[in-house]
Amino acid sequence: MELIARHGERTEKVRVRRQGAGYEVVVGDRVYQVDAANGGIGDIGGVRSLLIDGAQHEVSARLDGEDWIVSGRHGAAAVSITDPLTHLAAQTRGGKGGKRHRKVAAYMPGRVVAVLVQEGETVTTGQGVIVLEAMKMENEIRAETDGTIAKIFVQPGQAVDTGTPLFELD
Amino acid sequence: MTTGPVPTKRIRKVLIANRGEIAVRVIRACRELGIRTVAIYSEPDRLGLPVLLADEAYPIGPAPSRESYLRAEAIVELAVKVGADAIHPGYGFLSERAGFARLCRDAGVTFIGPSPESIDAMGSKVESRRLMIKAGVPVVPGGQDPLPDLESAAAFAEQIGYPVMIKASAGGGGKGMRHVERAADLASAYRAARSEAGASFGDDSVYIEKYIVDPRHVEIQVMGDLHGRVVSLGERECSLQRRHQKVVEEAPSPAVTPELRRRMGAAAVMAASAVGYSNAGTCEFLLAKDGNFYFLEMNTRLQVEHPVTELVTGIDLVHTQIRVAEGEPLGAEFDDIQPHGHAIEVRLYAEDPYNRFTPSPGRIVRLRLPEGPGIRNDCGVYEGSEVSIHYDPMLAKLIVWAADREHALRRLERALGELRVEGIRTNVPLFRALLADADFRSGNMDIGMLDRKMAAGELKPAEDTDSLADLPIIAAALAHHEQANRTIGGPAASAGRRSVWAAAARREALRGGSWS
Repeated sequence: MELIARHGERTEKVRVRRQGAGYEVVVGDRVYQVDAANGGIGDIGGVRSLLIDGAQHEVSARLDGEDWIVSGRHGAAAVSITDPLTHLAAQTRGGKGGKRHRKVAAYMPGRVVAVLVQEGETVTTGQGVIVLEAMKMENEIRAETDGTIAKIFVQPGQAVDTGTPLFELD
Repeated sequence: MTTGPVPTKRIRKVLIANRGEIAVRVIRACRELGIRTVAIYSEPDRLGLPVLLADEAYPIGPAPSRESYLRAEAIVELAVKVGADAIHPGYGFLSERAGFARLCRDAGVTFIGPSPESIDAMGSKVESRRLMIKAGVPVVPGGQDPLPDLESAAAFAEQIGYPVMIKASAGGGGKGMRHVERAADLASAYRAARSEAGASFGDDSVYIEKYIVDPRHVEIQVMGDLHGRVVSLGERECSLQRRHQKVVEEAPSPAVTPELRRRMGAAAVMAASAVGYSNAGTCEFLLAKDGNFYFLEMNTRLQVEHPVTELVTGIDLVHTQIRVAEGEPLGAEFDDIQPHGHAIEVRLYAEDPYNRFTPSPGRIVRLRLPEGPGIRNDCGVYEGSEVSIHYDPMLAKLIVWAADREHALRRLERALGELRVEGIRTNVPLFRALLADADFRSGNMDIGMLDRKMAAGELKPAEDTDSLADLPIIAAALAHHEQANRTIGGPAASAGRRSVWAAAARREALRGGSWS
């Protein structure tokens, strides 16, 4: 089945099928012969060796929410793999016309030091909304797009966990 | 100067008043000397590596440092109670608090570090500057005395030489500060600085210091014994800093000649001797392009970056700290120490260098440290351990040694290629980018370079020539494919070698409860 892969700005069509002892992976119009061996995907310490056209690549892939976090020599990358229908639905939801509410959640546990805006306030891309403190450092959580702050879920002094909703941007 | 016989007091048990990699470092040194070790831990550090490695471990309080690692009285009391005859403070926390060293002394516990008097003397910027001038150690020319009018300011600037920096006496945060390149610009800068200082601090007095253009940070490791002997163990180059925090350190400095090393070493020994210093310490200097150097401050403790000195001198600084604290004199191996080869340290932080250095706490799901020739890891975490939000995000230090700088750089590159830290973000991509940077490669550095290059977007993640742009997509697609087949028990799973079924069976076997 053809799938849609998204990695950063890139969106590619991908197809995977077994071929002999390995796989044939087609990304866009590029065809790769891959021999994959792994010590259990998703296991802690799971190691995956990909021999792609003979060249060795050591990577691990772990599912984090809807993304695969692929780690290798060069660091980690988040890649989402979806079937074309789901991808289309997501695009329509995120597309123009429809009203978007976006909840922004804490990406790490910490403590809310300050809330810099009020509900109903208009913000511009990059504007600081909430200051979180973790690991002895203060980090500003900023608006990723222009919009209006529809709701603020936290108060100064409050401890938050990863995933705790912080605010909603319209 | 000999201060008469110093009684030797053997240390048999050391309490380590710290956490993370430096606690591990001290435990290792103690083990090698046959000394028992006592770790202390805050609540989230119960399973920290120091606890696992120590002979004994005791809780010291909840997560916040104030309520745990900074409880000076409680720590000294604990040392007495458990029969520890010495305390090693590591770096940070209580290491440079004279009051803590005093508490130890009063309780009859050996503080593995300098005397409280030395810590006090070097602890104040104003006082240490005064002492250094008196001892003949070069400091940044200038004066803290306010310059009441333009004439006195011009005369002073002329005396110390341009460029100069005008600073607000009540200052801070860059307010009331003006950089002046030449005499013609002084009058307007002086007026502007005064009015800005007045507006910002309600006090418009200003003073003038020499402006050192793009200096390097070069520091000298010193060691003193209790018999009045202080020696230099050579320099470390620490110019690569992000907002005054060191990121990469090396020894020797690419900018220091044997002659300069001798002069800087002599100045550092003078500085330390001026405060009757014993044990390990570091004199930090600004090294100007013209070869002049200026004392900044003295760190009265073991430094994070001490391993690079150990690798090029062959001297174990923590062993020496303990021996010196016992009253042993520095031996002949400390005569005229010269660096051998080249060492580079990188500090691994749990932070994302390409996302405003956001901290990245969490669980380390995979950790593989590099090994092989010339590699040293001073690591405070292990695979499966949790990186807490409560403390400094430094995880480990990777240190390499090779015969010369070029080979050390290649070795560092090789080591970073082997290193895997997964589950959290680290600053490793920044090191890879630095290794591709021509200035760093050629040893051309100053203290502002890293911030300047980051701001200019120069140190982008390095694109390796051997990397495959589609690799993340291929890996994710395969993982997705296998997961889909695992879920529905599809044909691929049964066809696969080393299949997920085999892995599942192995896990099942392990759950059976036997050790085999």
